[in-house]
Amino acid sequence: MIETGIPKLDKFLGGGIPRGKSLVYYSQPGVEGEIFGLQTVYGTLKTGGTCVFVVSSTIPDIVKGQFDEFGWDISSFKDKLFFVDSYNPLIGAPSNEKYVVSNPDRIEDFHKTIMDIIKELPPSTIVFGSLSTIMDLCGEKETIEAVRTWNKMAMLYNHTIVYNFTAWPYSDETLNLIKGDLFNSVISIGGIAERVIFGQYFGIMKSDWAEVSRKSMLFRVLRPGGIKIFIPKILVTGPFDAGKSTFVHALSTRAISVDRLGTTVAMDHGHVEYKGFSADIFGTPGQERFDPIIKLLSGESMGVFLIVDSTNPSDFIRAKHMLDITKSYGLPYVVVANKQDLPGALTPEEIREQFHLPEDIPIVRAVAKDKIGVYEAFEVLLDRVTGGI
Amino acid sequence: MSDYSIGIKELDDAIGGIKKGSNIMLIGPPMSGKESILKLIAYHGAVKNENAIITVTTRESATNILEWYKENKLNLPLSKIAIVDCVTKTLGGAALENENIKIASSPVDLTGIGVKISQFFEDFFMKKNMRKIQLHINSLSTILMYSNIQTVFRFLHVFTGRIKAAGALGIYVIESGMHDEQAIATLKQLFDGMIEIRIENDKNYLRVTGLSSKPTPWFEYEIDGHNIKIIRGN
Repeated sequence: MIETGIPKLDKFLGGGIPRGKSLVYYSQPGVEGEIFGLQTVYGTLKTGGTCVFVVSSTIPDIVKGQFDEFGWDISSFKDKLFFVDSYNPLIGAPSNEKYVVSNPDRIEDFHKTIMDIIKELPPSTIVFGSLSTIMDLCGEKETIEAVRTWNKMAMLYNHTIVYNFTAWPYSDETLNLIKGDLFNSVISIGGIAERVIFGQYFGIMKSDWAEVSRKSMLFRVLRPGGIKIFIPKILVTGPFDAGKSTFVHALSTRAISVDRLGTTVAMDHGHVEYKGFSADIFGTPGQERFDPIIKLLSGESMGVFLIVDSTNPSDFIRAKHMLDITKSYGLPYVVVANKQDLPGALTPEEIREQFHLPEDIPIVRAVAKDKIGVYEAFEVLLDRVTGGI
Repeated sequence: MSDYSIGIKELDDAIGGIKKGSNIMLIGPPMSGKESILKLIAYHGAVKNENAIITVTTRESATNILEWYKENKLNLPLSKIAIVDCVTKTLGGAALENENIKIASSPVDLTGIGVKISQFFEDFFMKKNMRKIQLHINSLSTILMYSNIQTVFRFLHVFTGRIKAAGALGIYVIESGMHDEQAIATLKQLFDGMIEIRIENDKNYLRVTGLSSKPTPWFEYEIDGHNIKIIRGN
């Protein structure tokens, strides 16, 4: 078993990646997926393993510099870390590495070098810095065929083989193979996007040696430090007496309110763990004089619940205004139609109409005091935040 | 007034502003002043329209770009400027990142370039609350020297899409006469319009197509330091 050294990931994988297995870090363009391969190299070295890093999109010296940026000292692992240079030959420059792919745009040349490594070295972790670059140079079909063979041979020789892959718009056939049968495990790395990408997460899409439950973790990349997990904030807002505190308490595994005479004057705070996803929940007070707090909290949030009292359309103008405050930060949001158990409660369709909400904004029915619709709303928001992995 | 404009009055009058989410190709022969034009579009965008400008440079270093503005006595509002430098590292230069500059490892590293662009987008959009962003890529021709047309197409497919989604403006520089017609035609599908430059009898002309109902006339221009002077329409 080799450890990736990425927090939580080893745990999700049941300890790490077993020898003989293949794994792909499948990244959406624009997110820092390549760090995963780099950290896996360091994870292997730190636990005494041998490692090969295949460099395709820049010179090996720059990659060595990247390890330094993360504070990972590789100088003491000279005999344990080998680089395959498939970049310098591409730009016609000489290479100082032991392993060089002489024509990086010919898959046969790649194949020869990789097969040599597989046969020569003791069981190692072989990490490809960018499978997509190889694919771009050598062709999609040709590369996939080679990868199939490398995975098989790695299994026979007891190597662990790991690829960074950026999911540019290749053919569906190629993408489906990569997400599907080609590897023993697929780790998906994505961005939280609402007009721009403003957060990154990873999750296990597939793993044939560990039981996979839908788990995703938000991460940041620190220099030095590498991948660090963090707990996102989710904001609960809405007009006075719409049931925000009740909602925060219903959703949270633990929660506190700072209140006076039963109405929240500062804020509610809770924490939720649900389906492997955890978040801190902040409820804002409904009165207008607290609007600056909403602004303050919105700046750091990942998503927003807008709670409305379904029986009180007169408050919708106020609700709309609160939504505008948070919307100006470009956050994904879900409208929770609370108090659906009371007579005169409007249906989500009626609320959409009165609110002039676009069709694609989800409205979830809820009775927060009975915990009805609360987790459904959370799931809907998660899907919006992560784009549904 | 429109959020985005070129900064050359005659052209802007002729096209009447550029729509949010537009992707434009800036195409012209070598030595026709494309780089100066792009720098001046950036300057105009940052100063007059108060837009954030992200420049991806594969030809000259970020330091050189900033120097150019200094030499021309143009005071760039640095809080609105971001540069993804794809040259410095491979040339072995000291490559220090700061608030304005991010260093990509090479022009082949489209994944890395994409990450840096996305990070600047996030910085401006979420952290600095600046919603009007211009992405300038100078140049696609260099990127095409290292990667094949399909690869570049896929990269641009993603990023022209992000420009649309963010309501930003994308400008992509390409050398005419350096790539085959089919490559240009393939890339054109991704763009809403073009700023075209041609040289004839030692005179420079430019026009804009695709951004208004019909192409603008060709304007003869001269670049004088940091001024683009339109001599006459024709």
